[in-house]
Amino acid sequence: MLWYIFKRLLASIGTLLVVLAITFFLMNAVPGSPFLTEKSTPEQIALANAKYGLDKPLIVQFKNYLVTYAKGDLGVSLKMQEGTPVTDILFHQGKFQLSIRLGLIALCVAIVIGIPLGCVAAYNRGTWIDGFLRVLTTIGVAIPTFVLATLLLVTFAVNHNFLPTISGSLDSFKAYVMPIISLSFYYTCYLAKLTRTSMLDAINQDYIRTAKAKGVKTRSIVIKHALRNSLIPVITYIGPVIAGIITGSFVVESTFSIPGLGKYFVQSVLCRDYTVIMATTFILSALVIFMNLVVDIAYKIVDPRITLSSRED
Amino acid sequence: MKETFAKISPFQLDPSKLEEAFGLDESSFDKANDTEKESMVEMRKSVSYWADAWRRFKKNHVSMVALFVFIIAALFAFVGPLLVPYDYADQLRNAQKLGPMEYSKQEEVVRSIDDKCSSFYATALRPGSITALEKGEYYFKKGGTVYAFTLEKALENAIVMYAPKGVDDKVIIVRMADIDKEGNFSNYEVLNTTTEYSAEAIKLKLRSSVFPHVFGTDSQGRDSMVRTMFGARVSILIGIIAALIVLIIGSIYGSISGLAGGVVDFVMMRIVELIYSIPEVLVVLILQVVLKDPLQKWFDSSQSAFAQGMSDLGSGVVSIFITFALLYWVTMARIVRGQVLQLKKQEYVTAANALGASNRRIIKRHLLPNCVGQLVITTCLQIPSAIFLESFLSFLGMGVSAPMASLGSLCSDALQTISLFPYRLIFPAVILTIIVLSLNLVGDGLRDSLDPRLKK
Repeated sequence: MLWYIFKRLLASIGTLLVVLAITFFLMNAVPGSPFLTEKSTPEQIALANAKYGLDKPLIVQFKNYLVTYAKGDLGVSLKMQEGTPVTDILFHQGKFQLSIRLGLIALCVAIVIGIPLGCVAAYNRGTWIDGFLRVLTTIGVAIPTFVLATLLLVTFAVNHNFLPTISGSLDSFKAYVMPIISLSFYYTCYLAKLTRTSMLDAINQDYIRTAKAKGVKTRSIVIKHALRNSLIPVITYIGPVIAGIITGSFVVESTFSIPGLGKYFVQSVLCRDYTVIMATTFILSALVIFMNLVVDIAYKIVDPRITLSSRED
Repeated sequence: MKETFAKISPFQLDPSKLEEAFGLDESSFDKANDTEKESMVEMRKSVSYWADAWRRFKKNHVSMVALFVFIIAALFAFVGPLLVPYDYADQLRNAQKLGPMEYSKQEEVVRSIDDKCSSFYATALRPGSITALEKGEYYFKKGGTVYAFTLEKALENAIVMYAPKGVDDKVIIVRMADIDKEGNFSNYEVLNTTTEYSAEAIKLKLRSSVFPHVFGTDSQGRDSMVRTMFGARVSILIGIIAALIVLIIGSIYGSISGLAGGVVDFVMMRIVELIYSIPEVLVVLILQVVLKDPLQKWFDSSQSAFAQGMSDLGSGVVSIFITFALLYWVTMARIVRGQVLQLKKQEYVTAANALGASNRRIIKRHLLPNCVGQLVITTCLQIPSAIFLESFLSFLGMGVSAPMASLGSLCSDALQTISLFPYRLIFPAVILTIIVLSLNLVGDGLRDSLDPRLKK
């Protein structure tokens, strides 16, 4: 087990390095410099390049990034808030915490609502409840996040003033409602669909019949026997859910004016603030990769039949 | 034991006894002639794989409805623009910010006059009336001469010129002020129609009646319905092209990996795993920005039709294709590899191998055709995901470039005026949802009918 975790950790670091390398070389593949504006003279640009080490060969620059990251330093913003350390921007200004809070709550909502919904649908298979949930979840996975977010915004904030238009830094309960709904809706529906199918698979197994024959209550059959075994495909999907929720937060953050990591990343890409792009990519991909690792380990704990060393299909 | 067997064997009997015992004579052992052969042929028509799948698909009502809806959406996107007399880039002046089914006052005047007379007649060059005509929106031919005018100019000069029905030989001028709401008038003067108009006017169509702006118009006076149609067209095209890219790369990569096995397979699958864990949206966003300038240069320098088409869509869309080519094929590759691993142990692959078929031929002729069901399903389900990604990027302002529209960019544009004109968001959003929904359902139906083992 430990050996497996160690190996996966190594692989994760490898992936992270690849992502960083791709990002770095892509960024630098474009001619020009982040300091290029209409007014700046070549001397000014050269000076600024020298100041931030952009005049060095690419390999050296890349190595410098890795070295500073290893020290826990994320560099200094080149453009957006010139001279401010990126760690200050991301952590002390609360961008990171904001996005994480939003993402984690949305993830919890998706899991806490989606999985039981799937169970309810499977449990009531063929009835109107199942039909209703099927329609709801099918539509739910076809509505893009930004459409849902805007519709919510218009309905509840603009037309009726129930909820604030600008969620800002999420300091009241009301501010959470719409971002969380729009961020988690798709995944709630997806998890519900997934749970339903795998529950139905599980319900047809022999051990369920045995449990029924023994006279176990239906409720405890569902919870104890069926759900446990049907959770495995659901768990494999949690990894992509996390990545998706982080991605989805780009849209949600810009729709509800939340000054989080996603919005900041999009801005930094648009204005070519190299260090911020690298730092945000680093944090976001580290997060996604780490969560994937956690999911893989959870996978093992839920289903001891799976041997971790060979993850062959 | 052997003896008894020999005794009852029919081949040991002499012909006369054979006839006695089984009612057969010697002729029964002749070769069959053609008519006899024909009677042995299986009479039931053999059902092909696709016919069988289609039969199963037809039974699935939900998927059939979804397919029907998707066809309607595709017609809306691809045929619709031919029926609507507007263009996605046309900016109609004085027709901005109209609601659904509305048309501007200017168009209203045209319409009310349209009801009353057969066509608009006008000239630009009558001294003292309308000068400096830019281009004619309306024209008529009379005795080999073309007369044209723009309605805008006419309005500015408070003059509308036309001939009432039945008075074709006379061209008259009426002042706007003299036309009442119903389009009636009494005060007019006859126009001398001898001057010629420039050739440019001839190209323009006579608009005989006003086509309402079914979805309204945007802030720049562009017809929203046509833009939505073009948006849907762009979105569907992007989805299909991206899915094809994924199909080609994924199936080739997956089948090579599966067939080769061993170290090659191991390495190739580690690469897949690595790509799988890259947060793709980060890469897409960076690619968008990075590829913008190089692609623009390529568009400007290349004369080929391909480059032209791509430049109409904009560099953002090309980056989406590149992203799909780089990152999104991994799921497809995994699925194909799984299939190939099963298939390559089949006898026909061994047989092909024994006959000396090359690996390339085995993949092309034996492996890929046999996982066609999986390929179709995965490709079909890839389309909505590409449409989602494009609309997401357009929403962030990085998808198609203006004036081209996609459903995502339309939604994004609508956001700025969402509280005043919510319908501008609703139309493209609903169509986007319908397309994605129907494709998802069709994909589910395909899975059930092409690969019944997967049915859930």
